[in-house]
Amino acid sequence: MFERTKKDEAGADDFAPRKSESDKSFSASRGTASGRGQEAAVIGRSIQIYGDLRGGEDLRIEGDVTGTVELINSALTIGKEGKVKADVYAKSIAVDGETRGDLYASERVSVHLNARVQGNIVAPRVSIEEGAHFKGSIEMDAKAVEKALGKAGIEPKENQPTRASAAKTDTGGKDKVSAVASSG
Amino acid sequence: MPPAAARQLGSESTPGTSAGIHAPLFEKIVTGHSEDVRRVVLDLGAASTELLALLARSPCRADIADLNFFGDVDRLNAAESLDECIEISERALPGPGAAEELDVVFAWDLFNYLSRDALRGLMRVIGKRMRPGGVVHALVVYSEKTMTVTPGRYLPLSDSALMNAKPAQELRDAPRYSPEDLLDALGGFEIHTARLLSNGMQEFLFRRPL
Repeated sequence: MFERTKKDEAGADDFAPRKSESDKSFSASRGTASGRGQEAAVIGRSIQIYGDLRGGEDLRIEGDVTGTVELINSALTIGKEGKVKADVYAKSIAVDGETRGDLYASERVSVHLNARVQGNIVAPRVSIEEGAHFKGSIEMDAKAVEKALGKAGIEPKENQPTRASAAKTDTGGKDKVSAVASSG
Repeated sequence: MPPAAARQLGSESTPGTSAGIHAPLFEKIVTGHSEDVRRVVLDLGAASTELLALLARSPCRADIADLNFFGDVDRLNAAESLDECIEISERALPGPGAAEELDVVFAWDLFNYLSRDALRGLMRVIGKRMRPGGVVHALVVYSEKTMTVTPGRYLPLSDSALMNAKPAQELRDAPRYSPEDLLDALGGFEIHTARLLSNGMQEFLFRRPL
């Protein structure tokens, strides 16, 4: 469940909206949110959203979102400037900015360096980078994760490994401990 | 840097080194638990991948409070009454409260940074949320007269060793709570075992009586 990871393949700058783009609530970005080649929509820095946000494509948030975020089959990235006060439901969630609320993901939640996360995390895989700040609960019981995701209307990804494990990975010459647990 | 500041109290290791402190009571908690049995663990310090990796070996819920970073230590120390300390602690601790009782609490290099009332309030809330027989594993600066300005950041190196990953920092006077002081503040808990570690810290296992 816990895996110290490299940063997203594309750097944060790749997603930074141009000035003209930041005034549009959902402008196409120049990068990919999930590293799968699919372009992500971007909520720019100057955008504030109150209410329910739903969609079927990858999204990067650099603005403020308060309410609920549902991207059940898509990847959400909360950028360095992003501030989200919401329960979030997505396929994968990567946090570089700030969140307050519970995070549900059918695949993975990644909390990156300098991110601030306050709320509970429910996902088959969770990684918290050194230097990230987190206050909340993390469910590491595979059955409980499955149950909680089901309750939230999210189907956990199939074929996950069934046991928690820990291993060392090489991250640029520096060994880091990595651990993975899943709900398979 | 003055000699006192260059010395990193409570740590015989620095980030990137493999040196650690053998902590037998921590080892007991880690190795003495069946991998099939679910448990609920509260860490009052910062989240560390190393501890989470260790906990992920068995079904578990991990509550991470990170009291120091999120300002709860300062709020607790600034509180004007025990009731206020209890209110602050209720808000500061994650998890569903009484819905599922705590089995283990990690309090590494924290108690000395709390006033007696703050400690009393915090432990009263933890005691309410803990199952009878649950334990608090604490590391407390004991033999030294000084301690670092902010708490160290301890994380497991293995099943039996802990290390302080925080860079060296300035020192301040330590309150040097005695076991009796701690027992008084931790009303409702008993000292199960205590060990003096090689770095001069005391390792405690406090238990909520059955």
